[in-house]
Amino acid sequence: MNYRMMAVLVATLAISAPACAATRVVVGLTADIRSTNPGVNRDDNTDGVLLNVVEGLVGYGEDGDVKPLLAKTVTVSPDGTLYAFGLRDGVRFHNGKELTSADVLWNWRRYMDPKTGWRCLAEFDGRNGLKVTSVDAPDARTVVMHINHPSTMFLETLARTDCGMTAIMSPASVNPDGSWNRPIGTGPYQFVDWKPGRSVTLWRFADYASPQGSAMDGYVGLKTPYVDQVEFTVVPDPATMKLALETKSVDIAQLLSSDVADVKAAPDLAVMTVSDSSRNTLLFQTKDPLFADKKFRQAIAAALDYKELVDVASDGLSHPNNSAVFERSVYIDPVQRQGFKTDLAAAKMLLQESSYRGETIKLIANKRSPMPSFQVALVTQAMLLAIGVKVKIEVLEWATQLDRYNSGRYQMMSFSYSARLDPALGYEQFSGDKAKEPRKVWDNPQALALIDQAEKTSDQGARRKLFDSLHQMVLDDVPLISLYNGVTVWGYNTRVKGFSPWEGKPRLWDVRTGN
Amino acid sequence: MIRLLSQRLLAALPTLLLSAIAVFAMIRLIPGDPAALMLGDQADPASLADLRHLLGLDLSLPTQFMRWAERALHGNLGVSIRTGEPVLPLVIDRFWVSARIILIAVTVAAAIAIPAGMVAAWRQNGKLDISLVSMATVLLSIPSFWLGLMLLYVFGLKLGMLPVVGYVSFSENARAALLYIVLPLATLVLHEIGILIRMARSSTLDVLRMDYITHARAKGLSEATILRRHAFRNAFGPTWTLIGLMLGNLLGGIAVVETVFTIPGLGRLLVDSILGRDYPVIQGCLLVIAFVYVLINLVVDLLYPLFDPRVAEQ
Repeated sequence: MNYRMMAVLVATLAISAPACAATRVVVGLTADIRSTNPGVNRDDNTDGVLLNVVEGLVGYGEDGDVKPLLAKTVTVSPDGTLYAFGLRDGVRFHNGKELTSADVLWNWRRYMDPKTGWRCLAEFDGRNGLKVTSVDAPDARTVVMHINHPSTMFLETLARTDCGMTAIMSPASVNPDGSWNRPIGTGPYQFVDWKPGRSVTLWRFADYASPQGSAMDGYVGLKTPYVDQVEFTVVPDPATMKLALETKSVDIAQLLSSDVADVKAAPDLAVMTVSDSSRNTLLFQTKDPLFADKKFRQAIAAALDYKELVDVASDGLSHPNNSAVFERSVYIDPVQRQGFKTDLAAAKMLLQESSYRGETIKLIANKRSPMPSFQVALVTQAMLLAIGVKVKIEVLEWATQLDRYNSGRYQMMSFSYSARLDPALGYEQFSGDKAKEPRKVWDNPQALALIDQAEKTSDQGARRKLFDSLHQMVLDDVPLISLYNGVTVWGYNTRVKGFSPWEGKPRLWDVRTGN
Repeated sequence: MIRLLSQRLLAALPTLLLSAIAVFAMIRLIPGDPAALMLGDQADPASLADLRHLLGLDLSLPTQFMRWAERALHGNLGVSIRTGEPVLPLVIDRFWVSARIILIAVTVAAAIAIPAGMVAAWRQNGKLDISLVSMATVLLSIPSFWLGLMLLYVFGLKLGMLPVVGYVSFSENARAALLYIVLPLATLVLHEIGILIRMARSSTLDVLRMDYITHARAKGLSEATILRRHAFRNAFGPTWTLIGLMLGNLLGGIAVVETVFTIPGLGRLLVDSILGRDYPVIQGCLLVIAFVYVLINLVVDLLYPLFDPRVAEQ
């Protein structure tokens, strides 16, 4: 903790708000953050906290499209290999320094240095195809990036939350020896303190310059910080989290879906359920002799009653979506809304025609809260028994399941994919060469070619056709079954107004407190 | 005394070395890759290779162990894979959080349970004995996480007397710190009381059957004097040994209570590190726990003669 910084902040707050009491909101965190270093040592909780503090050149809008954030304009050359970012005027870092193109260059060099350990380095250095060949700053307000081939994924990846939104931070964020110190960003809240295992404290950034917009829009749009202090407090036990909300020890908390009824009934508390682009799925190992048989996979797909399965797994809070495109995406259309048809007679017939001979299938699941992996597995087991398929559920701890997923050592797995907003990334999550990446589920050359095309095409209509083709291929080939998009349940004290989480992450701008 | 102390501490070194090797090997036998856990479900091979290299996980196991052991001998237990924090300060910091709570809880539990256990033995098969043994059995049977949640429900939610979440250290604000640890302390005390009452009762019963107790009674000594002067010192030995084991066990076993009460202690750190395959932190935690175990046993052994003169003579 930098006490000098703390003193300056205390003084600033005291001067700026002498007449009224500071407002404060306490948010419960289900686990501690991993670090304060965006996109480097992170998980969903870390992203959720730090994306209130830092911002990138571009960010995601509500429906998954990428829009300028610190950039005012993004101009793409006709050949699609040059991106010119015009920076917004008047944007300041939390230490008071104005954002310039030199800062963007410094950040880019830091990210591209392997010593930084940026999670998304391989996405930009050519190892995964795309390469940023040069970055220049022709003037103080312009940054120009050249890439090796046209790619719609370039801006998408810059905006990815797991990449820390490729946050542009002040060079003062690192120590003189280059080691990480603290995030000095440009976001609506400034980082004050992290007590590992306990809490993270943020303060409102009085000089925050919001991007243009009339309302909140994903991580872009109008962003106005109202609350003086935000404290994220770590509450790892879900039952304690619920009690903390009921006792008003926390104002906002992520809850289990099973707690909704209790919290709704409590005075001064409200509940909101928000879906995101993560996906709960059933994966099939198509290299397994039994699951290599398409008819067997189709039989399983036809045996599941999706409405009932999703009702049970989500406590009635969600609905089926068999598409890899998330339900609020601009690419959702009638084709994407087509799902697997539940038909027990057809399922039994397909099963008879398949190579299944009564053997017991192993279905791997985990009990990691709040993931519905085990609930999905239980209902699947019961539904498959109805057509005569015997399933044994093997419950593994998450790290072990992830190991089996990465190595492809499973027959069937109840698995939740993390959020991907662009459908190309959504399909890429499970498609690829199994020989190179055993975690990939769908090793179909035709599908891979379509995904590659979607990654290089910027026209929305053309992309839509590609995604529709991919969806129809998935429905026929059944390499996996996407069941429904993730849903997060938030309880909050009704004194808190304007809270609107997005993609499972708490956005604290626009939040106000009543009495 | 100093010679004995040095001998015992030197004898502990092989134990610590064996613990370190066993922990190092065993944690790596469990499936799961720290790099894959950090990168999540979308870890491409290139990023995984980068991270494994950065964390030194691409080295052979013997090399990893030698590097770790060499640093450990210089007092450096490495840095956390998950958070990048230096392990030794992290573990020591969390150790003190847990140690304070455990020490207070076990002291309070012993102060209540030992007299209660002795009285139960003295009144064997009487109403008081049956009540105390029943209470001890009930307390032993209640899982500590459930007990903790019930205490939170009653004193936090219903009565609003105590805070439900959060933690304040004594150095920050002693009064607030006390308020925050009352419920975790109560949970631990109630749980440990059950074990200690049963042990104190059982060892007192053995002593009360001895001839010298009958002799003391024949001399006309009061029951209170017999219990205090003759029974207590001889019956306390096994309970004292149990207290030593209890202190060591709780360092890891307190994790459930720390999770329920949001206390950033050693047990929670250890469990989180195991789930996150944070090898350096797991090794650091277990090494510290092993060292404390050895130290507590040494202290227990050294203090034994105070209660049992026969040990001093030996």
